[in-house]
Amino acid sequence: MGNCRGVGKNIRMTIKEVTRIMSPAEEMTRDEEVTGFAGTDRYFLAPELGSIVNIALVMGKPLLLMGEAGTGKTQLAFEVARALSMNIYVARCKSTMKGEELCYDHDTVARLYESRFGSAETGRDPAKFDDYIVYGPIGKAFLAEEKGVLLLDEIDKTESDVQDNLLDILEDYEFTIREIDRRISAKNKPFIVITSNAKKELSDPFLRRCYCHYIEFPTPDQMRQIILLHYPKTSEKLVSVALDIFYDLREQGFEKSPATSEILNWIGALEHEGISPSDLRKKSYRERVPFLGVLLKRAGDIQAYTDNYNGQHNPNSFRERGY
Amino acid sequence: MFFVDFFYTLKNYGVPTTTQYILELQEGLKRGLAGNVDDLYNLLRLICVKRIEHLDNFDRAFSKYFYGIELPASGEMTDLNKLLENKPFREWLETQIKEGNLEPAEIHWKLPPEELFRRFLKTFEEQTEAHHGGNKWIGTGGTSPYGHSGNSYGGIRVYGESERQSALKTIGERRYINYSDNAGLRAENIRQVLGTFKNMVPIGPKTDLDLDETVYRTAKNAGELEFIFKPELRDNIRVALLIDNGGYSMSRYVSIVSLVFSKIKDRFKDLSTYYFRNCIYGNLFSDPQRIKKHPTKKFLSENPDTRVLIIGDASMAPEELFTPRGAIEYGVDDTEPGMVWLQRIRDRFSYSVWLNPIRSIYWSERYGNRTLREIRQIYHMEDLTLGGIKNAVTYLNEQG
Repeated sequence: MGNCRGVGKNIRMTIKEVTRIMSPAEEMTRDEEVTGFAGTDRYFLAPELGSIVNIALVMGKPLLLMGEAGTGKTQLAFEVARALSMNIYVARCKSTMKGEELCYDHDTVARLYESRFGSAETGRDPAKFDDYIVYGPIGKAFLAEEKGVLLLDEIDKTESDVQDNLLDILEDYEFTIREIDRRISAKNKPFIVITSNAKKELSDPFLRRCYCHYIEFPTPDQMRQIILLHYPKTSEKLVSVALDIFYDLREQGFEKSPATSEILNWIGALEHEGISPSDLRKKSYRERVPFLGVLLKRAGDIQAYTDNYNGQHNPNSFRERGY
Repeated sequence: MFFVDFFYTLKNYGVPTTTQYILELQEGLKRGLAGNVDDLYNLLRLICVKRIEHLDNFDRAFSKYFYGIELPASGEMTDLNKLLENKPFREWLETQIKEGNLEPAEIHWKLPPEELFRRFLKTFEEQTEAHHGGNKWIGTGGTSPYGHSGNSYGGIRVYGESERQSALKTIGERRYINYSDNAGLRAENIRQVLGTFKNMVPIGPKTDLDLDETVYRTAKNAGELEFIFKPELRDNIRVALLIDNGGYSMSRYVSIVSLVFSKIKDRFKDLSTYYFRNCIYGNLFSDPQRIKKHPTKKFLSENPDTRVLIIGDASMAPEELFTPRGAIEYGVDDTEPGMVWLQRIRDRFSYSVWLNPIRSIYWSERYGNRTLREIRQIYHMEDLTLGGIKNAVTYLNEQG
């Protein structure tokens, strides 16, 4: 790119191009009917994220969401399913997974057992492989008659070869039942949402097949809206004071920083106990924050908080630990 | 084909692209996903950016291609003046002065450069909006079928209408700078890297059905079922962390090292930590205050499979490393030079690596570069950046 591109000129050219593509004469072609997603009455959707979900929906691409706990990654999949009235199929990943069991499993033990002791009760035929196939969430989503949402939760917990096993699923929406060499293709391609806490790097081929998005932790303003979605009757003032304390705590680098679910529970507790904003402000300065255990979960964190609070030197507090 | 040359710009900025991405973009445009510049930004970003460390460079390429603004690489970010040397900004500034919106004196004395640049972006945005009727220029009457932000959709409430972030503003914020490969470490990106650090071995309860063995035994048993189970593969990684936490030269790295340390601590169940000052001699210390001694010989008897990470600047006076009794700390058992001890640790633990908080580009110029060079002869050394830790982990995974 040369340096000569003038700013305005560049934009105009760009827009002309886009407009031409977008002329109404050109009908959009879509595989299946897709409705847009724009947040729900209990899920706050950042505008950018909304646009991203819709792009992934329209392009029929798996959406990989990364970000720290409490940014609503998993929740998003459930809300998309709810808003678009789709079924959701959830695969919670574990480090011991091989990936195949997400598609199907073959109940070998039952088959062996029934071949030995008879299968009258279950009505299955040990001679038939099919009778002992148990479909996992991916298999169920692929075989469903209606388009659904398929959530692969915390994919980063799996080994990288598991991710390799999943490539066909992300690319072609297909998997093979190895033992009988049967290919299962999705009747209706589900909308795949994948979440990752970035515990483990994902492989390049895996990433290439996804649309990746990193969700930032909500800003105080966004958090206010999230809280109001859950507690519409809470006083704005209480929320403001609570947010101050909450973001202040997050700054302090605890081992487990409080996240969205913590503040929601905390607001719930404050409301239930009828603590007023001025009480809260006073208490957080004079005594310790009420219901601290709702915000901080680790004993070490609570200890560090209390000690810092009392102005004591504490060898276990984060900043001093190890250094 | 549209914006094909954008992909070449991307490539110049070090973001990998493929033909597939170009085709995907055409498909996306055909399906009406680029309703406005923001959506186009999102679409391109989703198509092209697969790793978070590429995001910053993607932003730079986008800004260069679509706005003609060259943003400096994240390493040069402190130098805002570079940003202000962009041609569009200079032109804007000249116009502002010519039109009397800004006084030259004001620019020099009153307004900080950040404020100037912010104003520039604002005017710039308004300009583009004005020229093209904001969101409406796409010909969909301002409400794209996949619209967001401010559009009400089928009775579902939508929040955040005032928060619409323009692509340019988003870029201006450089939100993703932390993840660039050459960026320093932040809490968010360390976990990402440490995740790859594993050692899978068969341990634990026998829960996996060993089918071959089961069939074999059952057949031997004249068809009477005999199930055989085997243990599953589990992560069994042992990590030892040796931290240089003394001396003036390390003091400026305290926050970054403690950050790395706390993340490493979170990640590994089986972790032991020892401290030393400047160099390792006959004793390590098991507490940060360096009071509780832990003989280095004892450490050397630990399982040779242990992954050893040494964090230190490797910068010291040459005699601390090479001469007996060279240690600067009182009461240290140092009848043998530090180099000997370092070599012993290296020989015992084939999975060992040195992490240096000094950026690698400065390794040859800083104080102590001689000892640093010598230590590099023994240890594989990386710096404490995202890329450095990643390389270190890759290196360790390749050993043995």
